[in-house]
Amino acid sequence: MKKGLIKLLFVVCGFVFSNSANAQCDTIANACARHLTAQFISDGQQYRALLLNPEETAEFHATFYGGTTYRIAACSGLSDGNLVFTVYDSERNPLFTNADYKNAPYWDFKIVSTLDCIIEARLKGENQGSGCAVILIGFKQ
Amino acid sequence: MRLKLYKFKGPFILLSVVSIISFSCGPDTETKVDDGNKIDSNKTTIIGINGELFSIPSPIQTALMIKKSGANYSKEMLNPTSKATSYSTNFQKALNLGIYGADLGYVTIYDQTQDAVSYLNAVRKLADDLGISGAFSPALIERFQKNLGIQDSLLGLVSVAYRASDAYLKNNERNDISGLVLAGGWIESLNFATAVYKQKPNEDVKRRIAEQKSSLTSLIKLLTPYYSQPEYTEVIDNLKDMATVFEGVEFKYSYEKPSVDPDKQTTTVNSKSEIKITDQQINSITEKITTIRNQIAG
Repeated sequence: MKKGLIKLLFVVCGFVFSNSANAQCDTIANACARHLTAQFISDGQQYRALLLNPEETAEFHATFYGGTTYRIAACSGLSDGNLVFTVYDSERNPLFTNADYKNAPYWDFKIVSTLDCIIEARLKGENQGSGCAVILIGFKQ
Repeated sequence: MRLKLYKFKGPFILLSVVSIISFSCGPDTETKVDDGNKIDSNKTTIIGINGELFSIPSPIQTALMIKKSGANYSKEMLNPTSKATSYSTNFQKALNLGIYGADLGYVTIYDQTQDAVSYLNAVRKLADDLGISGAFSPALIERFQKNLGIQDSLLGLVSVAYRASDAYLKNNERNDISGLVLAGGWIESLNFATAVYKQKPNEDVKRRIAEQKSSLTSLIKLLTPYYSQPEYTEVIDNLKDMATVFEGVEFKYSYEKPSVDPDKQTTTVNSKSEIKITDQQINSITEKITTIRNQIAG
C-alpha cells in the first residue's frame, strides 16, 4: 500500500514538474516568436533546452543554404538578453556571438555558400539559476 | 559542460521524479532567473538531457528554390489528397503529414489556391488524427482562406503551424512522431528536387540535391532511437542505404572571416563551399528516394 502511494507520488510529481517545465518553455517560445518578423519564414521547428546554470551549454547542428538570409532568435525568460548564443562552422571556427552585441535576442546571417553550423546557447553569466533556452530559426530568400 | 538540446522524454520524467522525491520536501530555494521565470535551483539538478537535436531544413526552402529555377508547376509530383483517409497507423499519418506539409508549401509557392485549400484540409485531417489539431485550428484555416493569393502570409501561417505542432509533440513526449513529420517533409522535398532535375537538369537543383548529405545524416540520427520498432526499421534502412550514395558526394569547405554590420544586426558568412556530385550519384539518389517516398505515400 505504502509502496503504491510512493509510486503514485512519483508519477504525479513527475507529471507536474514536466508540465511546469513545458509550460515555461512554451511561454518563452511564444515571446521569442515576435523576433521572427513577417519577412522570415519559420523552419517549422522549435529548439529548447533546460539549462541548469551559466556553465552549461546546449548545442544543435543546422545546415544553412547559400544565398539565403537566416534569422536566429534566442530567448530565455520573458525579457531579452538572457541567452548568449554562438554560431560556429563545422570546424569550430566562431562565426558570431551575440555576447559581442549586448546579448542581442536575434541576429541575421547572410549565407554566401552552404555550410553546416553548430549553434551553442548558454544562460548569461549574471543569472545564478536555471532557465529554459529557446532558439527559433527563420529564413528569407 | 556541454549539453545537447533535449527533448522531454521518458528518462526526463524519471529523473524529474527522482529529484522531486529527493528535494521537494526540503526547504524551498527558488532562484529567480528573470521576470516571470522562476525555477527551483535544487530541482534543476535532475534534468536529463536526452539525445541530440538537429535542424532539418524546411521543405519550403527547396520548393522556393525549385520555382526560382524556372521549373513549371507539376501536380503529378505531389501526393494526392484523396489518400489522406487511407493512412491507418500513426507512423503512416505522421510521415504523410510531413509529405502533405511539403506539398502544401509547394502549391502555395506556385499560387495554386484551390490545391492549397485541398492540401491544407489533408494536413488538418492527419493532424486531427494525430491529436495535434490545435496547431491547425479552425481559426488557422479561416486565416489561411482569407489570405489566399498572398503567398508570404500563407507560407508564414503554414510554417508557424508546423512549428506549433513540433513543440506540442515534443512537450508530450512524442518525439518519434515529431521526427517522422520532419522526415516526411524532408523526403518529399528531395523527391521534388530529383523529379525536377530528371525532367530538366539545372545546376541549382543539382547542388540542392547534393546539399542534402548532412541533413540525411541528421535525419537518420533523429530516427535511429526508434529503429527497433518494426515500422521504422525499413525506412531507416532505406535512408541508410541512400546515405551510402551520399558518402561519395564531395563537400569542400573553406573558412573565411565573416563580416558584421552591427547596425543592421547582420553577419555575412563569407566562407565558401564546393560540392561535387556525379550524374550516377544523382540517378541512384533519385531511384532510392522515389522508392522510399512511394512506400510511404502508398
